[in-house]
Amino acid sequence: MKWVKEWYLSDIILLALVGIFFGAIFMGTNYLYDVLTAALTPVGLSGLANEILLGLWCMPGMLAGYLIRLKGSATLGELLAATVEMFFGGQWGIATLISGIVQGFGSELGYIVTLYKRYDWVGLTASAITTTLVTFGWDLARNGYFKLQLWLLLLYLVIRFISMFVFGGLLTKAITDLLDRSHVLKSTHNN
Amino acid sequence: MNPSMKLALLFVVALEISFTTIVSLNVALIIIALIYLLFKRTRLKTLGWLLLVPLLPAIGLWSTQYINGTGDKTLMAWVLFTRIYAFVFTGATFTLTTNILQLADSLEQNWHLPAKFAYGVLAAYNLIPKIKHEVEIIRAAGRMRGQTLSFWSPQLYFKAILVSINWSQNLAQAMRSHGFVEDAPRTHYRQITLRRRDWAILIGGIVLLQVGVFIIPWY
Repeated sequence: MKWVKEWYLSDIILLALVGIFFGAIFMGTNYLYDVLTAALTPVGLSGLANEILLGLWCMPGMLAGYLIRLKGSATLGELLAATVEMFFGGQWGIATLISGIVQGFGSELGYIVTLYKRYDWVGLTASAITTTLVTFGWDLARNGYFKLQLWLLLLYLVIRFISMFVFGGLLTKAITDLLDRSHVLKSTHNN
Repeated sequence: MNPSMKLALLFVVALEISFTTIVSLNVALIIIALIYLLFKRTRLKTLGWLLLVPLLPAIGLWSTQYINGTGDKTLMAWVLFTRIYAFVFTGATFTLTTNILQLADSLEQNWHLPAKFAYGVLAAYNLIPKIKHEVEIIRAAGRMRGQTLSFWSPQLYFKAILVSINWSQNLAQAMRSHGFVEDAPRTHYRQITLRRRDWAILIGGIVLLQVGVFIIPWY
């Protein structure tokens, strides 16, 4: 149970709070998703709305991995965000929870392949790549992507990676730069 | 039913229907979930909302397969359309009848989830109204200085994280000062029992699902 011992109560609350805060900020993007979906449905490309915004929804996991440098923090961060979303206003029920685990593990994998040592653009880019691949693998089954024509599949994959890179890479990097400059992270893990 | 067992059963259902392409099975699950919800006296307005909200994404998935799919396009379009509703309705049998407190209690008492995870998340969960308000405050403070903070502004997230760090330490301190000790054994005021019946429903449910997936020759 050494892994459990490494976590402090404040870390757990922090991850949950960050997840909820981000969820509250994302609420403003729901209308964007609806408008995009409605506009793209007649041409059969409604998935693009999901692809464009998915990077945003994966940010809590990637940031959690950066904020709290413990094994499993990215997975836990995204899972906690999903759990809260499931109970609070999320109509997708258990599917939210599964997506949360998949997205969280995707982000975690980026930190795993960089051996939990690269908390810079390398780690974040790795995380963006692995999150894209893992979530896409899941959508092959869940959203029936494996039945789509190849050009559309590739288009979705490319746009998903761009979204992951812009939100999970560039935006997350901008946030972590602000955090680094303010020196708040050192004080978060010694109470 | 025991909350964590219910969650486990629905988790298996959601996972399995993600990999099957049987329209009738999805519809059967929706009907079972609907009966359960009516039995639990869910308000009709809530049920109507559950029908309405997934409609747009469901039509989106349908048209994607119908226009740009390969193979049996019509089948896959309807599989995905009904799958979305199966997710929503089976999920609702959990979220509309169970709250996060019951789930946290059950996971802690029945499955030995460390108390700090259960209560830590609950502490944060109860701050949701305050968090929504805080986001408004951060945005208003930005506007006063002529900055419009949107979902692509790093400053918005940065400030949210600063508040989270602050609150998480305050909350942890508050819990400790009320006698919460991490990794210490606890007694429980709200008892959640795990009965044999819960196991029976879980195993029976999973077996029944396999019958639906592999044995019944759905058309």
